[in-house]
Amino acid sequence: MSTTHSHAPLKESPLTEFEVLELAVRELAIEKGLFSADDHRRFAEWAESRTYTVGSRMVARSWLDPAFKERLLRDGTETSKEVGVDWLQPTGQGTPSDYTYFYVLENTPKLHNVIVCTLCSCYPRPVLGMSPDWYRTPNYRRRMVRWPRQVLAEFGLHLPPDVEVRVHDSNQKSRFMVMPMRPEGTEGWSEDQLAAIVTRDCLIGVALPRADVTASQVPKQPKGRNGGNKR
Amino acid sequence: MASTPTQYDSFQRQAANLTPADRLPLDSPYEISNELYGLLRKVLHDLGGQPDTPVPFTEKGEEDWEMNTYLTCECLGWRGVWNSEERRRRENDLGATQYFGLPYYARWITTAAKALVDRGLITTDELGRKMDEVRARLEGQRS
Repeated sequence: MSTTHSHAPLKESPLTEFEVLELAVRELAIEKGLFSADDHRRFAEWAESRTYTVGSRMVARSWLDPAFKERLLRDGTETSKEVGVDWLQPTGQGTPSDYTYFYVLENTPKLHNVIVCTLCSCYPRPVLGMSPDWYRTPNYRRRMVRWPRQVLAEFGLHLPPDVEVRVHDSNQKSRFMVMPMRPEGTEGWSEDQLAAIVTRDCLIGVALPRADVTASQVPKQPKGRNGGNKR
Repeated sequence: MASTPTQYDSFQRQAANLTPADRLPLDSPYEISNELYGLLRKVLHDLGGQPDTPVPFTEKGEEDWEMNTYLTCECLGWRGVWNSEERRRRENDLGATQYFGLPYYARWITTAAKALVDRGLITTDELGRKMDEVRARLEGQRS
């Protein structure tokens, strides 16, 4: 997860011109009254509180509650409120970058969804938090829309040829999240148990949930050519 | 940052090395084909489908200045100075060298500074003085 608090002591990091520029722009903006230090702090609090666990919760609840799932697939933006996310937060007008329609994409035995933003780096921050760095790279943006199976294989996800891969290109009006299928071995599980196996990468579509994998529990057995490990 | 004439020459040489080795079709020709005109009108940020080789997809997480850049840009949007469409458009308009050469959030903060200057909300002199002040302050904290 991204955080502004988990880094090496200041003394050890060399000063970059980007740090200087950011602080200069921020301080000038505050001095000129364009926004306040409190605005910045409030937005930081909101951003730090966003994590993919909201998306995990949506998927877990959908697996257990068909009526919730139907509402979520029909109107993702509105149904987000049921798990505590109002897309109008934190300003009352949404975030400047993310106030858009939110769509949840359902995987089926014959259809796998994955998300990308070829034109920039659009990502559903209110429900998934900050995007991973690789999601914003030109390389991912270039290749995912044209060679999705190869890119997915590099993440350790090998899909059978009879499964259609559908790539969704996010844009300034639309944000997407993938709803994976409930894996085997999770019969009788609670919503909390199910939510724990729906990791961020499952919600982007570059991984599939497994009963023996959570964000803090690695697989018992390697899977795929590269041992299922992309790093 | 102030620079000496020697540093300036060195900087010019390095900047020239960032430009394409083969400049022939891009040296303001008298005429170009309709096909090349079409190619040149393709916007640089429309990357989808371009060939590329596999690279490791790594996790990094935001550094402090990166998260603060995101927050500063969002606050400027929140309070009506600009909107995210303008930010993206300004990033795209940085030109290929800076668009691909700068780190992700460096694109953001560069465009934010330009947007404030272009609107007359700050001057380049103010920005330069503030950067000198901030640099001196941060260097003092880290020495």
